[in-house]
Amino acid sequence: MRYFAVFVLVLLASVPYTLGPGVEQSLVTLFSLVAMATWWNLLAGFAGLTSFGQQAYLGVGAYGLYVLALAGVDPFAAIPLAAALAGVVALPVSVAVLRLSGGQFAVATWVLAEIFRLAVTLSPGGDTGVSLPGISGYMPLLRQALVYWCALGLAAGSVLAVWLLARGRYGLAARAVSADPDAAAASGVRVARIRRVAYCLAAAGAGAVGALLFTHTLYVQPGSIFNVQYSVLMMFMVLTGGLGTVEGPVAGALIFFVLQQALSAHGPWYLVLLGAVGVAVTLFAPRGLWGHLGRPLFPIAHLRET
Amino acid sequence: MLELDRISKRFGRVTVAEELSLSVRHGDAVGVVGPNGAGKTSLFGMISGDLAPDAGEVRFDGRRVTALDASVRCRLGIGRTYQVPRPFTGLSVFENVLVAAQQGAGTRGRASYALAAEVLAGTGLADLAGRPAGRLGLLQRKRLELARALATRPRLLLLDEVAGGLTDPEVAELVALITAARARDGLAVIWIEHVVRALTATVDRLICLAGGRVVGDGRPLEVLATPAVREVFLGTEASADALTEVERDA
Repeated sequence: MRYFAVFVLVLLASVPYTLGPGVEQSLVTLFSLVAMATWWNLLAGFAGLTSFGQQAYLGVGAYGLYVLALAGVDPFAAIPLAAALAGVVALPVSVAVLRLSGGQFAVATWVLAEIFRLAVTLSPGGDTGVSLPGISGYMPLLRQALVYWCALGLAAGSVLAVWLLARGRYGLAARAVSADPDAAAASGVRVARIRRVAYCLAAAGAGAVGALLFTHTLYVQPGSIFNVQYSVLMMFMVLTGGLGTVEGPVAGALIFFVLQQALSAHGPWYLVLLGAVGVAVTLFAPRGLWGHLGRPLFPIAHLRET
Repeated sequence: MLELDRISKRFGRVTVAEELSLSVRHGDAVGVVGPNGAGKTSLFGMISGDLAPDAGEVRFDGRRVTALDASVRCRLGIGRTYQVPRPFTGLSVFENVLVAAQQGAGTRGRASYALAAEVLAGTGLADLAGRPAGRLGLLQRKRLELARALATRPRLLLLDEVAGGLTDPEVAELVALITAARARDGLAVIWIEHVVRALTATVDRLICLAGGRVVGDGRPLEVLATPAVREVFLGTEASADALTEVERDA
């Protein structure tokens, strides 16, 4: 399994040399979907916090990258900094939103993302969107390849990071919190801390994706990066793939990606079909497609030592 | 080790604790009886930290814990079970106990696995370790509640009707488990129970609660014999039966 994963990664890393810019471009989209879904799943699947507001941190990541690049930092080097910035911004925000749970938490995160969007829109020159500074020094072909490798690294790194978290001491406590927060506290789990860590890490992950998308599109606008549709997408991918599994978000991202490629020519009908798939999976396969069909490639269960 | 100092708690018009004071010493086994709505489970909530009293103070080992989070109190040594079992569904039986061993008892790595395995063996759940906790029968759920509480390595164990809904032989099994845990770990127990027989067989002190007040406190049979307690108990047919049963046993 490990060798297979490394083999796939090497194969994917060679795409800029083999399959060319067209495939490269679509795979950047796929990889950012994988990363997005994986971090949303840490929050919703493992810590039990369903957020509709992760676009807030996509935006913080993108605009953070803008500010850093404006200050002269190389855009690619600035991606991790932008991610860290999103995580730091999430810390004080978590104090407010984590007083809520369930549906109230979901709505609060959405409202918060809207506030972020308005704040950026109302700032000087904010409503028209911005181009990424400091990127023109790169030759287009090299730039695209770098974006591709960053996206691949981000997707693989996100899956690995969430897997390591989920299978360890933290993940077990988070799963307990997600099942029953009161009983978890009564068993000694510091519920607030578990949720805060998940919230800030998921924000940093979203921030990295936001920054990456900016290097890919070279242009960002508050209306698009702060769009709630991103959170709906994350939810669709994680629910269809398998909530609370490491493989689920990857499977969900693949499903969405394939549906999108195959159906986007049919206009709005594609969205109707996507909705139907979401409803069908929720009704007939509530553990997601991976949850029902797949064997864990990245196991998180703790087994008694014999 | 545990002191409740004039704690009061109301939900609207319902008083669940009225200037209630109580102290439990190291190694005590205290039974709590009382009619429905007497404030028994709320009392546990205020000791374990699920519920904040409106007034008064809770002290554990001389330390004020009234404002502390339930998780902190658990780490200090207060373990509890819930009346209606609350297993972490989605986790296996082993993982349910492991999380308590890691977070409540503060063990890590192999030590946490060893503690969880030991507790599972002690509570007769070893064969079910790999089963999802959501797929257990009632007796097993009750055992798991007990196992999870024991895995936090408590010094004070709060048992909320662990025998409720079980058959007589099952009750006897659980009572044996609790007696064994007390003998081994020397822990103090406060035990709420409707099955008065299970209680009187185990505890050496009985408290009767009614309307958020202590109406009886002392040796089990003496408490059951006092007029105030009789009055509370004779209110319901079933409790009166339970009382006669206990007296017959004695």
